[in-house]
Amino acid sequence: MSEDASLAKKVRKAAQLIMYQHHRLPGVKGYELRKYIGRDFMKVVSLLQRKLDDLGLEVKTVYADGLEHHNPTEDELEQARFYVISKAPLQMGDASLSGWRIDTLAVFAATVAYLTSKQGRAPRRDVEELLQEKFPDWKIDQDLNRFIRRGYLDEDQNGVLFIGWRTRVEIDRKRLLDMIAGSSPEKVDLEAGPKS
Amino acid sequence: MASRRWQGLPQQGRSEEYYEELARIINLCQSISTKSDDPFLVDIPQKLTILKRLLPKWKLIDDLLMDAEAIKELSLMVKLQSDWVKRRASGLFIDPFLVEVKIKLLSKESLAYSVLSSWHPLVAMDQLTPERLEDALDYWNSILPLSQRVKEGPSDQTSSDRTVDIAELVKLRFISERTFNEDVRQMRSRLIESAKDGPVDYWRFVLAPSYEETAMNAYRLSFLVSKGLANLIINPIEETILVEPAEGVENRRGGRSVVISISYEKWRSMIKEGDRK
Repeated sequence: MSEDASLAKKVRKAAQLIMYQHHRLPGVKGYELRKYIGRDFMKVVSLLQRKLDDLGLEVKTVYADGLEHHNPTEDELEQARFYVISKAPLQMGDASLSGWRIDTLAVFAATVAYLTSKQGRAPRRDVEELLQEKFPDWKIDQDLNRFIRRGYLDEDQNGVLFIGWRTRVEIDRKRLLDMIAGSSPEKVDLEAGPKS
Repeated sequence: MASRRWQGLPQQGRSEEYYEELARIINLCQSISTKSDDPFLVDIPQKLTILKRLLPKWKLIDDLLMDAEAIKELSLMVKLQSDWVKRRASGLFIDPFLVEVKIKLLSKESLAYSVLSSWHPLVAMDQLTPERLEDALDYWNSILPLSQRVKEGPSDQTSSDRTVDIAELVKLRFISERTFNEDVRQMRSRLIESAKDGPVDYWRFVLAPSYEETAMNAYRLSFLVSKGLANLIINPIEETILVEPAEGVENRRGGRSVVISISYEKWRSMIKEGDRK
């Protein structure tokens, strides 16, 4: 097999490993990629990335500590998990396509921003108190439980909420924080976006 | 947690202020850890100096346990401080107070807009392979109707929590009943011989040159214990397990089950330790 054909085969295998759900969670760990593709798996992942560019998709690497690593070590890459996500964020018109009502999206934004500012964890009671400013108790409870079920949040037995695996993958938390901290309290038309 | 332990501690006429100092350290660390407050609020060197000063005053095991808990909480603070620095460097740091105020000021629509603009949905595919489909078909063909299964199935036991008894192992030809009985009898004789001067250490007693033989010894010994021919003396504080021969009251009631795990790694480390000695 020529080198090109072998590389193409590896790229297909990497796509399969990353995109097909093997167990409960989608994505694949770095050490699994190394096992099936070889030591040069990051080279194969960047080739896959080039192919996904055309489709508006990208490979997202989520490190074990949940932070960004600009020059990751081999060990950090092996422990990281790789996913494929949509390159562009949801459009304003897609609000209804997310399956969540506007107020659920608002609860989600407030919860994720608050938890991120608190090192990714905070007592559920504190989050509920913050949300009670705008939303009724029953809605807060229902929404928080929904986020936990879908993997966007986690909760331990002491009632502490954590950022879940899915938020780490899907939400650009830095952008979310920048938008919330830098925005002015104005009305937004969700079809058209914010008034500038 | 600290306050509960604090109330339960024996005072024995000693000054409460020592305990209070320790409880304050534990409470401070736990509160910071739970509320995700700034871990640099804890002056680690100063707290360690306090612990060092108090250490000679501790006499009881509860005192030392509380001291150990304080050390554990302080080490957790060091980890949180390290995470805090990493987080600040990553650009994800922002003043929590500012975020809280902004969330309160922003409209629902603005909050929803901000999360939609930061949301990159995950792409994943579910798949069903022909092999898995074939497995499913085989399973469907072999499974009995529910009405029959209910009639047959005694049990609320699932396959995962089933235990295999000696009769079943004999039936499976895993062991021979006669040989097993003989082995158990020999083990009892060995136990009586070894425990002449008092109970012997469980691990020393079951340890054999091979992992398989060690596991088999543990199984035989569990059989002796179940039959009331041996007693286990477990000290959870010192983490020791001793074994001694017993009179043998078979099928005794009111006992409790004890799980002793024998992993290959544990066996290997015990063998290495034995070699060193």
